[in-house]
Amino acid sequence: MIELNGVRKAFHHGMTNEFWALHGIDLRIEAKRVTALCGPSGSGKTTLLTIVGCIARPTQGRVRFKERDISGLPERFLTGIRRKSFGFVFQKFNLIRGMSALDNVMLPAYPTGEPRRTLHGRAERILEQLKLAHRRHAHVEWLSGGEQQRVAIGRALINDPEVVIADEPTANLDSALSLEFMGILESLVGEGRTVLLSSHDPLVVDSALVHRVVNMRDGRIL
Amino acid sequence: MLFQPAIIALLLASAVCVAAMAVAAPFALEVIRRWDSASGSERQLVLERRTYLFSTLIAFVLWTQFAALLLFVFNADKMSVMFVGAMCAVGTLNVNAYGFPALFAQMLVFFLAAGWLAINYVDNRAPDYPLVRIKYVLLLGLLPLLAASFALQLRYFLGLKADVITSCCGSLFSGDAKTVAGEASAIAPLPAMALLYGTVAFAVVAAGRQAIGKRGGYLTAASGVAALVAGIVGVLSFVSLYVYEHPHHHCPFCVLKPDYGFQGYGLYLPLFAATAAAIGAGAVQPFAQVASLREVAPSVSARLAAVAAAGFTLFALVGTFMVLHSNLILVER
Repeated sequence: MIELNGVRKAFHHGMTNEFWALHGIDLRIEAKRVTALCGPSGSGKTTLLTIVGCIARPTQGRVRFKERDISGLPERFLTGIRRKSFGFVFQKFNLIRGMSALDNVMLPAYPTGEPRRTLHGRAERILEQLKLAHRRHAHVEWLSGGEQQRVAIGRALINDPEVVIADEPTANLDSALSLEFMGILESLVGEGRTVLLSSHDPLVVDSALVHRVVNMRDGRIL
Repeated sequence: MLFQPAIIALLLASAVCVAAMAVAAPFALEVIRRWDSASGSERQLVLERRTYLFSTLIAFVLWTQFAALLLFVFNADKMSVMFVGAMCAVGTLNVNAYGFPALFAQMLVFFLAAGWLAINYVDNRAPDYPLVRIKYVLLLGLLPLLAASFALQLRYFLGLKADVITSCCGSLFSGDAKTVAGEASAIAPLPAMALLYGTVAFAVVAAGRQAIGKRGGYLTAASGVAALVAGIVGVLSFVSLYVYEHPHHHCPFCVLKPDYGFQGYGLYLPLFAATAAAIGAGAVQPFAQVASLREVAPSVSARLAAVAAAGFTLFALVGTFMVLHSNLILVER
């Protein structure tokens, strides 16, 4: 489903503080499976996730999604793919403070131009599935870490993406909440979604729910 | 003379345009020589990222040339009070040998820019940059013309001397003048009307047909250019006479003057816009067979054809209105 060929990524390219975060990544991610990128901090997991999720572009190499090159797409096309095909759960959630959980979930769908009523109904259903309906009108900064993560997952699902990308999803959670996340993960796979996550949490990478673990270090796949 | 706001604006617009094109030229050469969409090399990815930036920059400076043409004509008319013998833009343009060449170059830039912008617009609507090489080759072709246009404008504006006694429209657009303009002015009203309405009607039908059927871009472009020529000949030979209500005043520029309520802009804006759209429709047509443009190119071309049809219709209506509301009788009913 997703194929990376010779992907390299440099930050501050061509400058004195140039840093290569990825060195020639070749990877094939299967559809409807959970793939975990595992590695220590600085191994390039997050960079790789952002490249797959069309948030960043590679410096070299190609990324193909459903047999289509997406790494070279002009921004106008990339935006559509990013919006419709990928849902991203950030490590620090990146929710918009001052807005309710419901509004945060609905936000990525506004540019699609869907009627608000339809959107509202879908956001309500997602929050219900995530057992967060009772907190839908609460400002996100009032929510606990686990609740915030569920809002972030809800936001990632609002456009019904085929691929859900989660960056260190259990890094800020205790064991009970991490297990709760694994339950959500199971339901995502059950819905036929492809999940790509990064983690070095044994609770995640050793889980039977994870079909494949890709070990990384220093920007390379081991 | 150089320190007139309009002249400064025109020279700046032209200079910025040439500078932007000159900056883009090395990139254009690199695209032409090294573009390889199958490659994931660092160079290719940089080219892909930058092509959007450069095409946006070029599109912006070319759009400014549309406004520049309008300002050039408006300014030529406005400055006519500064020269002895000048009654309208013709006098100003005749102050030295570079006036009319500068105007014609600006017009050529206007129409070629329309074609390039249409191609660029279509290319930006495909996910795989299908016309990237073509548009940069065309861009390199435009560069000398833009440079020439800038040079002509600079020579023209630098050569504007207030003590020059210039000749105005009466001599240039007289039916007796041995020039192309004179020949066009000398055409009798009835044949000129037949030429204008026939050609414009043909252009409207061709463009309208393309707007509906999404085919026939070349015919739209060719008939559009023909309608432009016929339109200008029509203005010279009879429309202007009706506007001035004078049987021997053929000037195509006096209609732009406030004395005549700036009526000329009502004629020329739709005519030039329609011709530019028709050229754009034709410029896009060859790419309808490109896989990623099979839907986009005919659709954009058809929309441009619709604009052309509307523009030519408006031009014909405005011209007819001027004729019908004039007190001059050229043709006995």
